[in-house]
Amino acid sequence: MNPFDEYNAQQSRRQFLQGLGIGAGALALNQLLGQAATQNAGGAKNYGSVVHPALPDLPHFAPKAKRLIYLQMNGAPSQLDTFDWKPGLKAHFNKDLPESIRNGQRLSTMTSGQTRFPVAPTIFKFAQHGRAGTWVSDLLPNIAGVVDDISVVKTVYTEAINHDPATTFLMTGNELPGKASLGSWLSYGLGSVSQDLPAFVVLTPKWSARSSVQALFHRLWDAGYLPSKYSGVALRGAGDPVLYIKDPDGVDRATRRAMLDDLNKLNEESYARYSDPETQTRIAQYEMAFRMQASVPELVDFSKESKSTLEMYGPDVNTPGTFAASALLARRLIERGVRVVQLFHRGWDQHGNLPNEIKAQCGDVDQPCAALIKDLKQRGLLEDTLVVWGGEFGRTVYSQGTLTETTYGRDHHPRNFCMWMAGGGVKPGLTYGETDDFSYNVVKDPVHIRDLNATIMHCMGIDHERLSFKSQGLDQKLTGVVKAEPVKGILL
Amino acid sequence: MAQAAPSLARPAPAIFKQNTKLQYNRDVRPILSENCFACHGFDKNQRKADLRLDVREDALAAKAFVPGQPDASELLKRIFSDKAEELMPPADSHKSLTAEQKQILKRWIAEGAEYEPHWAFIAPMKAPVPKVKNAKLARNIIDSFILARLEKSGLQFAAETSKEVLLRRVTFDLTGLPPTPLEVDAFLADKAPNAYDKVVDRLLASPRYGEHMALYWLDAVRYADTHGLHFDNERHIWPYRDWVVKAFNDNKSFDQFTIEQLAGDLLPNATRDQKVATGYNRCVPTSNEGGSIAEELLYRYSVDRTETTASVFLGLTAGCAACHDHKFDPVSQKDFYQLYAFFNSGTDPALDGNQPRTPPILKLSTPEQEAQLTAWDGQIGDTRAKIKEAVAKLDYQDPALQTPPPAEQKVETVWVEDAFPDSEAFFANGHPQTFIGKENGPVFSGERSLKRTDAGLSQDVFERLKTPFTVPANGTLFAYVYLDPKNLPRSVMLQWNTGSWSHRANWGDADAIPYGQKNTVEKIQMGELPKSGEWVRLEVPVEKLKLASGVKFQGMAFTQFGGTVYWDKAGVVYDANPASDPALSLTAWTNKLGAKDPGNTFPQDVRDIFKKKPEERNDSQKTRLREYYLSEIFSGARETITPLKNLAVDLEAKKKKLDGEIAATMIWADMPEPRKAFVMLRGQYDKPGEEVQPGTPAFLPALKKQTTDGRATRLDLARWMVEPQQPLTARVFVNRLWQQAFGTGFVQTSADFGAQGQAPSHPELLDWLAVDFREGGWDIKRLMKLIVSSAAYRQDSKLTPRLRDLDPENRLLARGPRLRLDAEAIRDNALFAGGLINLTMGGRGVRPYQPINVWEPLAYPGSDTDKYVPDKGSGLYRRSLYTFWKRTAPQPAIVAFDAPTREFFCTRRERSNTPMQALVLMNDVQHFEAARGLATRIIKEGGKSDDERLVFGFRTATARRPTAKELEILRGALAKQLARYKANPDAAKKALAVGESKAAEGIEPSEYAAWTMVANLILNLDETITKN
Repeated sequence: MNPFDEYNAQQSRRQFLQGLGIGAGALALNQLLGQAATQNAGGAKNYGSVVHPALPDLPHFAPKAKRLIYLQMNGAPSQLDTFDWKPGLKAHFNKDLPESIRNGQRLSTMTSGQTRFPVAPTIFKFAQHGRAGTWVSDLLPNIAGVVDDISVVKTVYTEAINHDPATTFLMTGNELPGKASLGSWLSYGLGSVSQDLPAFVVLTPKWSARSSVQALFHRLWDAGYLPSKYSGVALRGAGDPVLYIKDPDGVDRATRRAMLDDLNKLNEESYARYSDPETQTRIAQYEMAFRMQASVPELVDFSKESKSTLEMYGPDVNTPGTFAASALLARRLIERGVRVVQLFHRGWDQHGNLPNEIKAQCGDVDQPCAALIKDLKQRGLLEDTLVVWGGEFGRTVYSQGTLTETTYGRDHHPRNFCMWMAGGGVKPGLTYGETDDFSYNVVKDPVHIRDLNATIMHCMGIDHERLSFKSQGLDQKLTGVVKAEPVKGILL
Repeated sequence: MAQAAPSLARPAPAIFKQNTKLQYNRDVRPILSENCFACHGFDKNQRKADLRLDVREDALAAKAFVPGQPDASELLKRIFSDKAEELMPPADSHKSLTAEQKQILKRWIAEGAEYEPHWAFIAPMKAPVPKVKNAKLARNIIDSFILARLEKSGLQFAAETSKEVLLRRVTFDLTGLPPTPLEVDAFLADKAPNAYDKVVDRLLASPRYGEHMALYWLDAVRYADTHGLHFDNERHIWPYRDWVVKAFNDNKSFDQFTIEQLAGDLLPNATRDQKVATGYNRCVPTSNEGGSIAEELLYRYSVDRTETTASVFLGLTAGCAACHDHKFDPVSQKDFYQLYAFFNSGTDPALDGNQPRTPPILKLSTPEQEAQLTAWDGQIGDTRAKIKEAVAKLDYQDPALQTPPPAEQKVETVWVEDAFPDSEAFFANGHPQTFIGKENGPVFSGERSLKRTDAGLSQDVFERLKTPFTVPANGTLFAYVYLDPKNLPRSVMLQWNTGSWSHRANWGDADAIPYGQKNTVEKIQMGELPKSGEWVRLEVPVEKLKLASGVKFQGMAFTQFGGTVYWDKAGVVYDANPASDPALSLTAWTNKLGAKDPGNTFPQDVRDIFKKKPEERNDSQKTRLREYYLSEIFSGARETITPLKNLAVDLEAKKKKLDGEIAATMIWADMPEPRKAFVMLRGQYDKPGEEVQPGTPAFLPALKKQTTDGRATRLDLARWMVEPQQPLTARVFVNRLWQQAFGTGFVQTSADFGAQGQAPSHPELLDWLAVDFREGGWDIKRLMKLIVSSAAYRQDSKLTPRLRDLDPENRLLARGPRLRLDAEAIRDNALFAGGLINLTMGGRGVRPYQPINVWEPLAYPGSDTDKYVPDKGSGLYRRSLYTFWKRTAPQPAIVAFDAPTREFFCTRRERSNTPMQALVLMNDVQHFEAARGLATRIIKEGGKSDDERLVFGFRTATARRPTAKELEILRGALAKQLARYKANPDAAKKALAVGESKAAEGIEPSEYAAWTMVANLILNLDETITKN
């Protein structure tokens, strides 16, 4: 078509659509279809990539991070026993938390009936580590070894006080089900670059503290109102790593290939009959599925990893479904073009028997987390991979249930908790924010979880105010309607 | 999830049509709504510069513009400004106007800046049916409207599609299943002019119709089989699902359908079905998370119900107004909370209790079950009366009050007689617990004995006694046993529970029953088997059990290895000083318990009496204590009272068991005194503002109240929903039915009929159908028939290059709908084609195949949905509508095809096209098993020659015959697969073994497997999973 004709054709199409009263949405779709058609015009047999591109105006600015690994410690790890060192609490052992500190804070109904709120200092030893001098407890000796690469934020806070709403809030920007998850937003906005793996992958490793567990929900990685293809795909530790990836018994790869070749031919006939672009897309999706079937077994096969790498992640790395194996898998996923990997590690809800249970939990994650940082760094991936670690809220300084010299429990505490971030776009070796002497209130540099999400988006080259999706008559955003700001103080 | 619309706005610039005047609703309002109303609209709290542009008078008063004088209009100055501080919309809003949009606003002001009320908020009226040039193409009124619009754009209908494709299309749209080849043949052969009519009538009369229609309604009301939050345990509300299916099948009028769901309980003489319908409001996801704040949860449930109702019936995005006045629609925050006030007074609790039947519930017993329960109630009443009588008859003299005090004596306390005592748990290993009467075997005392026969280890157990047994240290435990001489056990054992099972006495073979360590209290060997053929009293001195003092028994077990054993009267005998033994002396007993709460093993009134000082107890309280003592504690009366009490317990247990088996469903009920409702500031549960009364949004027609006390009821609301003047309900539902048939509604944003929603593609037709629907008695089948009978629906769906250019989304309908089938239809189609489907209707959700580890890695351990165990047999092959729906981890094969999670209302599913879908269709066991099923049918029913068989298989899936070229490809496929499996017979056998159902006998495996792969190919075709 010469430029003149093309112009005329476009004009007539525009006028047509404008007369329709439903123009612009249709026009945009038409352009998309037009592009797809051009892609396919080169030859029907050359099924083009169905990898979805980034939105046209994204990234909004040059991203520091191209990939995200999010290590969610589900159940809410105690900040008081890990990163928020409060030496003064020793003197307050078993004394009531001063009313001036609690200050009318709403309590979960698990402790609102307690008559006393006795302060429970941590029984773990803290020390300063690295050039940065970051305080870390002896529960996390390996993470202590990489503090110069991470940035600990001590003043994250939220509003939700129970797990289900709090985790949903953290992951989707809203306490109620139905919104799009962080990973699906990134996948939607930034597109996918992997030819044979999904853009957003979720791992749900095993955990040690069986009695401190909370549930997970599909909605934490669901696309909500976004198109469903942006949902996270859960890779599993048991069963097929990807659902339905394995051919049925008695069907080998060549048999499947033969069937697919004939399927493509017949679907081409359908395309000739109906000219429906969906048919073309479907052909390409079957090819993508076939490639996934080939690439997933390779993905989960660690046999080509060096001995030193495997040792770095610890002995659990060879057991599928452990946190160590999942951490290594996370690295392998991002190496293969996956944009977002999220690990949900359960078992951090220590209402009682906290010292023993948190020790077991830290035993699961400490070495693999540190290994992941080192591994990424060695491979030059850390500079453009953002790593985030943390829970959905914090835990109370006062003990829930029995308090003795050796044991205590802690209830939910939304007012401040610790997370750490590393890599793409985040200052290394930093401790950010200050809490009061009881780790009960933020006194300097509060970071709402909205700000946290805005920060993650910022690192990925997204202005969180400008990435929106029309649903229910609103421009929906991950960060919602209340003002949110990236945390400048931790950004490079 | 809720609504997936393109992210671009939908203004309708008609700038190039200079000859027609701009229309506010079509051309201008979308621009203002998208760019201006957020700060200059309905929401008074967000309004900037005190300017509102959504009301003409206010805009004029604020001098935003001067009608007819663009140059004198501030609004235009601001939007065309090149100064950042003047420019509207401002940069920080991330909104900007295109040059065209600016020109439209300019022209609109030049033309007089006239406003129109929002179209959807005015009651619909039937416009005159338009005249069309090509009238012979129109089959019904729908076509006149569609065609008129097409002709305006120089288009017209495509030719009618082939009969095969049409039959398949309409069969899927009305039943969610494909036509059979026989049905296709019959339709092809029927040359009568009303052949299609007959098909439509047949489909509308099929029970499959109601199932298919119910699916979309259940999406909208977010029906599921679990509570949805935290534990996400099972809930029983499937009778509501079955009610919806039946309502569609019975063609219940939509007004009645609406009224019964919103307020069935308030209808005069409400029927059981009408109460089941109120499950609508119980479909809300609920939580039982520890630490939750009740007020917060109750608030959220009510908000969710309000939002859902507003969306499902009114197409309003009311949720926005939970926190602030709606920014785009005239829904104020007060409007929202008035609507909410209808839903915030349910008796359902904040915490669902992690139980399947969170009250209020409705039992759905059969008449036989009712009769049985009544009979047992009668027997329980009789037994209680007998106990009372026995107590009254006692001539009790408190030994503590006798002078001189009576001497020490032996006292026997009976624990078990005729039935087990009241406990939290009863169970049996082996056959169920069986007490027999004298007519059926030996009975030592009372009316009955416990009988057990088994070849191996077997027992009857009760534990967690409501009133634990006191064990006197000097006592001797006893039980009567009768061994059948014709069927001797190897050993018998008595076990006593002290909180754990660690005290046992064994008679006979010491190794037969494996419990406990020999020669310890865990297993005391008492001697040989007792003599058979007569009652033997077994005795075990308490001191042999080496119990700590004060230990109580929490339960007992009667255990045997093999044989037939009868047990009767069991208890303890001991030496007692009657005057000081609480089991014999009322005074000793009351003194022992003192004046404090004796704990929750006692009835509340007895506890209350004990909390008083003895001298403060009045006569009737003392009488009550005496009565309680004699019936429950006094061991002297045990011989007569224990059997009666145990019998009552036994009857209660039976009643409880049957009660659990009776279906029940969660329903709605209001509190007697409604909760107050307030505008909740910023949508926070603990920030009540102004108090509000139940009411409907002020901008819609007024609610008529039927009550005299001035408070509107849910029934008033329900009736208001279907009032003729209420502009939304009929339009919203008609739009969704249209969407079912054509993939997109007239209003694409089917959950948003407000200002931010998309304008209707055919406003006059939508209104005509809405009015006609109402006037025709809200008759859903009539409307569905009208839609599927239209020429618009019956068109060929081929996308021509011209249409691809002009109307890629098919909004004008110059071609028929071609859409991927919905998730459930895809699975049901495969089961149907494979001859596996089980068309049983209704009942508790079933569990078809699901890959391992879908629930487990997510679930809360201890939740009753933490482990997925697929059903065996028919449960694997039921229609997908009946699949157990767990909200936090729905079936992955269904979700892959865009089913919602049902955590949130959904009025429109999207249609994605993903590699995961390909993996499901190729590899999922249920799809591959269905392929083998289809292969079986091909071989058995498809004819003799390969070609006949290939045609049969292809037709079963697509309803049409393959073309010569397609047949050629299929032949090649068969040949290739046959060669492969001939070369690898082991693989063939493996392929045929997939799935629980068995492969057919007598078919050569390589051939069978090759046909299975051909069937797998056919079931994966784009045309198979598409409504063409």
